[in-house]
Amino acid sequence: MILTNYISSILLMTLGLYVLCFQRNLVKMVVGLGILDYGVNLLIVSIGYRAGGTAPLFVEGEIQPGMHFVDPVPQALTLTSIVIGACVTAMALAIVVQLHRKYHTLDTGEIRRLRG
Amino acid sequence: MMFERLIPHCPVLAVMTLFLGAFLTAIFGRSKAARRILLMLASLLSSFFMALLVKPVFFDGQIISYWMGNWAPRAGYAIGIGFEVDGLSLFFALLVSLTVLLSNLYSLRYIERDDCGDYYCTLALMLGGSVLSLVQTGDIFTMFVMIEIMTFACVALTAFRKRSEGALEAAFKYLIVGCIGSSLVLTGVILLYAQCHTLNMAQLSALLAGNLTPATVFAFALLLTGFGVKSYAVPFHFVAADAYMAAPSSVSMLFSGMVNKAGVYGVIRLCYIIMQSMRLPALQTLLVTLGTLSMFVGVTMALRQHDFKRLLAFHSISQIGYVLTALGLCTALGIAGGLYHAMNHTLFKGLLFLCAGAVWYAAGTTDLDRMGGLSKRMPQTCAIFLIAAFSISGLPPFNGFVSKWIIYQATFEKAAEGGGFGYIVVTVVALVTSVMTLASFIKVAQSVFFGQERPELAHVREVPLSMRIPMWILAVLCVVTGVAPGLVLTYVVAPATYAVTNVTGYINTMMGAGYAESVMTVPAQSIPVDASFAGYYSPVSWLILFAVLLLAFALVALLGKGSRGAVCQDDTGCDDKYAVFFGGERVTRSTVAGSDLFWGFRYNFRHYFRWMGNVHSGVVNDYAAWAVGAGAVIILYLYALL
Repeated sequence: MILTNYISSILLMTLGLYVLCFQRNLVKMVVGLGILDYGVNLLIVSIGYRAGGTAPLFVEGEIQPGMHFVDPVPQALTLTSIVIGACVTAMALAIVVQLHRKYHTLDTGEIRRLRG
Repeated sequence: MMFERLIPHCPVLAVMTLFLGAFLTAIFGRSKAARRILLMLASLLSSFFMALLVKPVFFDGQIISYWMGNWAPRAGYAIGIGFEVDGLSLFFALLVSLTVLLSNLYSLRYIERDDCGDYYCTLALMLGGSVLSLVQTGDIFTMFVMIEIMTFACVALTAFRKRSEGALEAAFKYLIVGCIGSSLVLTGVILLYAQCHTLNMAQLSALLAGNLTPATVFAFALLLTGFGVKSYAVPFHFVAADAYMAAPSSVSMLFSGMVNKAGVYGVIRLCYIIMQSMRLPALQTLLVTLGTLSMFVGVTMALRQHDFKRLLAFHSISQIGYVLTALGLCTALGIAGGLYHAMNHTLFKGLLFLCAGAVWYAAGTTDLDRMGGLSKRMPQTCAIFLIAAFSISGLPPFNGFVSKWIIYQATFEKAAEGGGFGYIVVTVVALVTSVMTLASFIKVAQSVFFGQERPELAHVREVPLSMRIPMWILAVLCVVTGVAPGLVLTYVVAPATYAVTNVTGYINTMMGAGYAESVMTVPAQSIPVDASFAGYYSPVSWLILFAVLLLAFALVALLGKGSRGAVCQDDTGCDDKYAVFFGGERVTRSTVAGSDLFWGFRYNFRHYFRWMGNVHSGVVNDYAAWAVGAGAVIILYLYALL
């Protein structure tokens, strides 16, 4: 049932945004970014889904009348988005390590020298 | 002409040159000479390719389209990835090219004391290439990818001087809020794809005309919020102030010169061309409100800053507010004023950041309360700073005045045409903001360049020539665009303004002639062009007045020479004669420091300033919550009124 995909992707995105807004631990915030990404990825793949469709890989003559395949474009987009998500996580964790060395804490409430 | 056949390839070549330069500096950048040559070669070549496009696009009015791998549309569906350069794209692309070129030239000496100079070159070229590609692409998913590359390069460059105060912190905050923005953009893109089964902006534009269903309104709101995050309008501006302050100055110039312009470009492309819904009063009110808030909050926050670059960052937010306000009016005069101001903002704000960088390079600090009297040590930087400060404050012979004047007229025209009382308020806020901008730059000039010299700054020398050249180029451009507004309007701003209104041309160039007429259910939106309010402004008489005033000022200053230049070594003696500048309290030194000017003003509005200070709390969760909350408000607002 494709509707569950949509509902769970929206739930994942909301959860990710909630974590970013209310969790005060830097590592948890990075996890929140990941959850947000997965929610968006699930939405993209679900949009390309066609009921009963096959994989969009075929050779000449294989396609019969009445056959159809799922939309390949969103799958390519998801791949791009997953790669970008991995880069975001890597970069954010690298900054978190450096921040911990400098501030000796992971609490966002104490990492606020730039304010006002 | 030998370049004729090259022209359709120029947009891609300009982008590829920068990306190729980024990869080559990553490989060969270990040696200083090699990376300097590669950096300048890549930026010069890319600027050359962009310059080739000026004649066909601006003067001949063509729209250049280019399909990657020649995957042209089949049967009315765009299947390939295309580049499309109309006047609007070229306008922003030229700003990007200029910023990249001058910033890279400046950084040759500016970052020589840092380690990892090769990483800097790679990231700077990557940033330039991504923004250049973003403003020229005709494919909305490519736009998203370029936004992500831009965000990565920005985060890494913000953290570049990781030992300096706050750099890592600013980078992390920028990453979090930036990623929220780009996730919203991606969700919006994919929802549009689900509705229209295409990612090409021209085809989207044709299919979406007059087609505001709940799904497309949701996608529209998400995209608008995403591009709003990238342009740092007010509820999203917190990270911008931190990042501009913590990054090296040549990078701050890239940020304010082109990264937030990329957000503005996204807003224009989305509202005027893809969705074609700027005629709706609800959307106009939304953009004008965001812009007016940005103007006012930015400038009042700037008044309470003690750091040169953080102050400039808040002014950057305030000036983007002008641009958004003007663009939200949806009149030809407003669009022209907004684009003119976007160009001017790139010129004078880039120049101001370069001045801040020069002061940092020479004096080792950007704290306004620890400087003074640098005009004797750095006369050229001081002169350049004054040109930039006059420009941003909107003093007549300089460029800021021209664009602000057009914006005042445009908002007033909107009020006069029955836009309601709100637009009168907007006009007044714009004027007040301009005055407060001038006030805060008087404060900077007083505390950095004038006033009494600090004993510990006696060793300061003027910055090297390769840093002054880009500053002088920008200064000259500031004066030229201020003195010859007619030429700039005719040859640069008018083609870009026409491109904003020419939706049918944009669609047909990409998808084949006649496509727009066959697909669109409603005619393309027309924007009223009415020149009756475009008042006449004679720069020459203002220039003469300015020269006379300058002469008189110099005469007065020279006559009073005997009383200047005394350096207070201790706290004896000269307190009381400065009492007018302070609240009358005794201080240890008598220099009129930056935070002493306009003391009374800040005292009277202390509740507002304290509240504003608390809102800018420095906690990244709050910033994320502001971005998400503003997004939610925009979604609800558009649902309620569209």
